[in-house]
Amino acid sequence: MTVHDIVSLLVICQLVAPASTIVLVGVPALLGRPLAERTTTWIIGSGFVAGFVAALITLTVLSARGFRPEVVHFGTWFSVGHHEATIELVADALSVPYVCFSTGLCALINAFAGKYLHREPGFTRFFVLLAMFGTGMNLMVLAGSIDVLFAGWELLGISSTLLIGFFLERGNAVRAALRAFITYRVCDVGLLAAAVMVHRAVGSGDFERLFGNDWPNGICLVPAATATIVSLLLVFAALGKSAQLPFSGWLPCAMEGPTPSSAIFYGALSIHAGAYVLLRCEALLEQAPLARLALVVIGLSTAIHASVVGRVQTDLKSMLAYASMTQSGIIFAEIGFGWRVIPLVHVVSHAILRSLQILRSPSALHDRHELEAALGGHPGADRWSIGSLLPTAVQTRLYRIALDRGFEEMAMGRLFVTPFRQLLEAAAALERRWLALLGGDAGPGRGTGGGRP
Amino acid sequence: MTQNLLAAAAITVAAPLLGAAASALGFRRGSPRGFAVAAVGVSLVASLTITLIWSMTDGTPLSFGDRLGSGTFIWIDGITAVLLPYVALVELAILLVAPRRSLEQTSVTRLLFGAAATFALFLTSHPLAMVVLWIATALPTWISVRSTPGGSAAARVFAIAMVTALACMAVGTVLLVIDPPWAAAAGWVGSAGGWLVAIAVMVRKGIFPFHSWYPALFTGGPMSTALAATMPQVAAYTAVRLLIGHYDHPEGVAAELVVLSQMALVTAVYGAGLAIVQRDLRGLIGTLAMSQSAMVLAGLAGTLPMELNGAFCVWISSGLALTGIGLVSWALESRAGPIRLDTPQGRFWDAPALAAFFLLFGLAGIGLPGTLSFVADDLIVSGSLDEQLHAGLLVILATVLSGIAMMRGWFHVFGGPVAPDGPRHAILPRERVSMTALLAVLFMLGLWPDPLVRALDRATGRLLGVASHDVAAPHDAPAGEAAGLQDLPDGR
Repeated sequence: MTVHDIVSLLVICQLVAPASTIVLVGVPALLGRPLAERTTTWIIGSGFVAGFVAALITLTVLSARGFRPEVVHFGTWFSVGHHEATIELVADALSVPYVCFSTGLCALINAFAGKYLHREPGFTRFFVLLAMFGTGMNLMVLAGSIDVLFAGWELLGISSTLLIGFFLERGNAVRAALRAFITYRVCDVGLLAAAVMVHRAVGSGDFERLFGNDWPNGICLVPAATATIVSLLLVFAALGKSAQLPFSGWLPCAMEGPTPSSAIFYGALSIHAGAYVLLRCEALLEQAPLARLALVVIGLSTAIHASVVGRVQTDLKSMLAYASMTQSGIIFAEIGFGWRVIPLVHVVSHAILRSLQILRSPSALHDRHELEAALGGHPGADRWSIGSLLPTAVQTRLYRIALDRGFEEMAMGRLFVTPFRQLLEAAAALERRWLALLGGDAGPGRGTGGGRP
Repeated sequence: MTQNLLAAAAITVAAPLLGAAASALGFRRGSPRGFAVAAVGVSLVASLTITLIWSMTDGTPLSFGDRLGSGTFIWIDGITAVLLPYVALVELAILLVAPRRSLEQTSVTRLLFGAAATFALFLTSHPLAMVVLWIATALPTWISVRSTPGGSAAARVFAIAMVTALACMAVGTVLLVIDPPWAAAAGWVGSAGGWLVAIAVMVRKGIFPFHSWYPALFTGGPMSTALAATMPQVAAYTAVRLLIGHYDHPEGVAAELVVLSQMALVTAVYGAGLAIVQRDLRGLIGTLAMSQSAMVLAGLAGTLPMELNGAFCVWISSGLALTGIGLVSWALESRAGPIRLDTPQGRFWDAPALAAFFLLFGLAGIGLPGTLSFVADDLIVSGSLDEQLHAGLLVILATVLSGIAMMRGWFHVFGGPVAPDGPRHAILPRERVSMTALLAVLFMLGLWPDPLVRALDRATGRLLGVASHDVAAPHDAPAGEAAGLQDLPDGR
């Protein structure tokens, strides 16, 4: 057995371990026999731990070999004519440490959520979705082709949506989930179009043919024009998942989900999925100054916007959401500047800090009381901030803008959402009138229902 | 091999036909589900046998019986082998999940007769046989909708559409037979025939501006009838047999197909957009079905194997997913009454199992990785973009909008405050089994799509007349045949 075979097996384990737990826990629930809470957390946790251990061993093997990338080919998934969807994974200096980090974090969240959601209706649903998220994350991170990356990306989006709407009985949660899903869906167009472009450019979706597999020393193998178009499409896709302007409005609402999922999705992993994809394709970005400029401008704008708006939030989770958005914006700008290691370190450090903060947020008052008790009084409320250097009139104006969340939502609503919805409503009304004309006064389905089935 | 194929084809049609006759004569009047399921089950096994036998052949189409125009009385090729089990599975699932009160003697007779006619249609390429089978498939639907309380308006809309479609189809087919445009330089008669058949296909498939009957059938008719009438996509099959791959057009498709394709793209986007603002669940399913059905036609009218392949995959994946959603909705409605979508209805805690199935079918319909729709979307989007940028963009837009509509539907049916003393609706074993089976097929074909895609590649290569894997020339069956190679669609 060669080193390549060993790495291949380990990479498969990183994927299969969390994926198999979806079936192990989900199928009994679907058949009306959900497993006990302890069994559920144990199975899901075992999947993540197995994935983590496999990733750790892979990391050791790779580091012993100077982080020479190992590409694992699983052959062709399906092919029609020149269109070939290959299943290809890559273990390199970017993917394997990231899998260690993500599976480790998922395992910790799993342990936390087992207690946090005890006796919560929907306990099994949460853990199945967590496993689905972990699988999607690993698939995306280990992807060696844009087809596999897109599959992982989609799993992230769907699990994120369903966890935002976890508390289905709450109207806000339902609205927030739909809002997040619409944003994801719109921005996913970028990744889908990028995948098609890549297929047209190199005949398959393999990254190897696009920029090699030697991260961070990849070389762009396609013309600059193609690199620019693909990069811009990838940037567009990343804006939605990473809540960058003008698609950032969904993130504060997404905190409607359970705290453990908020921590791992919007404090740690999902929010940085866009940054990861851009880091993976950094060789393309290198040939696309326009896309890099867009990243810097959007990233810094988002960071400033989120920093200002976050200061006036009155609940802790919204404040943390804007803090995440700020850091994510800075990371985008760092990628735009052409840095590779700094944004990666930034992603990992920010993810660890923010997920801890979100996990502790339900206990914030308790923590505060303990601190006050220990200090024997208030720990000092007056803090200096850079905003205090601004003239009072500017501060007031900024405060007003921040209260309205930078008018971003209002602008998106007035420019796009409302006109589109009104157009569809008008079309639907016309349809109803036309049907009434064709079918008689009542029209089909009007007030019938009772006898229909 | 040929005899076995013919025998399996005969059993596929005869089983539901005998079942319909038995039901009409009053056999097991009290509980007709058992023998109806058995009849369609036999058809499913026979159609799977056709698929199995077909996979062992060299891909040569089997033609048998009288030839007229471009077709023969029995025509079995790769497309038949793939689509026939799909249609049988849909029919079987409908019969298994149907609420007891929807399965009285007359409705079972109509369902079985409609199923037999649909199977027969998928086994022929004979133009006049198709016209007759169009009537045979439309008639039970119309009777069923008309006999539904409050369904007269929907029946009227359906009748207007079908009479128009059937008239165009009959006249168009006759003109095509008189002056076959694929045999010589097209005269105006053959050209007019082609256009009339194209219009018939548009009407029967609910393509804009002839789309209104599609959602009306779902909102005003019984769910079983609506699903059985729309999911097999009889008109798409007719387009495949009578229009696609027949004309010596510079791009390989006829002008009619170009118009069909553009209108289908518009309908796909329009239907998905309408689905977002639907006020009731049946309207949502109807408009989504309309959109997906149009997407299939848009792909079928393409010139690239990838597009056609994607269209067939969308045909199967969206058909199974929408059938699943329809069945879940039907099960939910039969317990809780009509479902509105204006506001979140809070049904999750009443029916958690149905919610899970709805969600899985919904995800399987909007491209969840690991399901067939992911493969289908990949192929149809890539194919459309390869052919024409605007077509690709419209397909993407339709995909995005239908995804949003589907998730809105799920959240609005199952999300929202729930009455604490609301009844809990347990799922029945037969419902669970049939829904699980449909899901298993969707996931199995999604995780291991290669056999299906290869089979379709062979069939679509033949349709387009392009080099594909193992494309062989068609041959006639040893007995009773009259078809000549040079006159067959693929022999051009």
